[in-house]
Amino acid sequence: MTELGKLALAYLGLLLLLALTVASSLVDLDGFNTPINLAIAAAKAAIIALVFMHLVRAGALSRLAVAAVAIWLAILFGLTLAGL
Amino acid sequence: MSDAIESAAFDTAERERRADTFGMWVFIGSEAMLFGAVLLLFFAARFHYSAAFAAASKHRALTLGTLNTAVLITSSFFMALAHFHCSARRWRATTWSLAATALLGLVFLVIKGSEYAMEFHEGIAPVLGAPFAFDGPHPEQAQLFFALYFAMTGLHALHLICGMAVICWLLAFWRRTPVANRMRRVPAVGLYWHFVDIVWVFLFPALYLINR
Repeated sequence: MTELGKLALAYLGLLLLLALTVASSLVDLDGFNTPINLAIAAAKAAIIALVFMHLVRAGALSRLAVAAVAIWLAILFGLTLAGL
Repeated sequence: MSDAIESAAFDTAERERRADTFGMWVFIGSEAMLFGAVLLLFFAARFHYSAAFAAASKHRALTLGTLNTAVLITSSFFMALAHFHCSARRWRATTWSLAATALLGLVFLVIKGSEYAMEFHEGIAPVLGAPFAFDGPHPEQAQLFFALYFAMTGLHALHLICGMAVICWLLAFWRRTPVANRMRRVPAVGLYWHFVDIVWVFLFPALYLINR
């Protein structure tokens, strides 16, 4: 697929996920609304990072920076939410 | 000309490009810690005050929030197009894409501003000394929701304004910018813009969609 095709596909995917997350919030899924909304947000973030921010073909240094963020955020959220 | 080096600190253009990208990712990492901490604060408060937060969340204008998310996603798409055209040295297409990105950022801010105006009018904006009145359950807990809402969206809007300022600066000096610098700066501002988009992708469900 051409580079332009990938970008367009990512854009369409993002709009589709937006429609999905809004639609899911209009029905009561008995406690599953928030996990679904957050999972869709994570999927959108992944599309933006991998395609728009070119993380797919980024070098080892950039991946290292992203991994460091993931680890620190995991500590921040993990320890805090474990204490709630 | 694309192999010219801007800083004396680097031996080769490739090294400088890699350092630029790495520096941007480290910067984005520090920003992610900032927004991550604020989001975590919001979720912790929501855990304790779920009923009040759900009631307060219903006061968000879902249509405007959804529209704004679409606007910001589209702006990110145009930023990705700017990067795409810049790599192929199609300068006219690059500048038009950058201008479209900044313009969509402005559209986002106008919509956000009209939402703010509605909230001040409704009296549910506990910022800048404005009066606060909420007729749902636990008004003091709802006040915390709205305070966090204004803090989070305000911080996000500030980042968007910074991104727009950088794009305008890039466009204003575009003709005088050497090719090598164009090819470094467009991807760098792109990374920042996409990150600000990702922040909104998480703010939107947290603030607009919870327990509707």
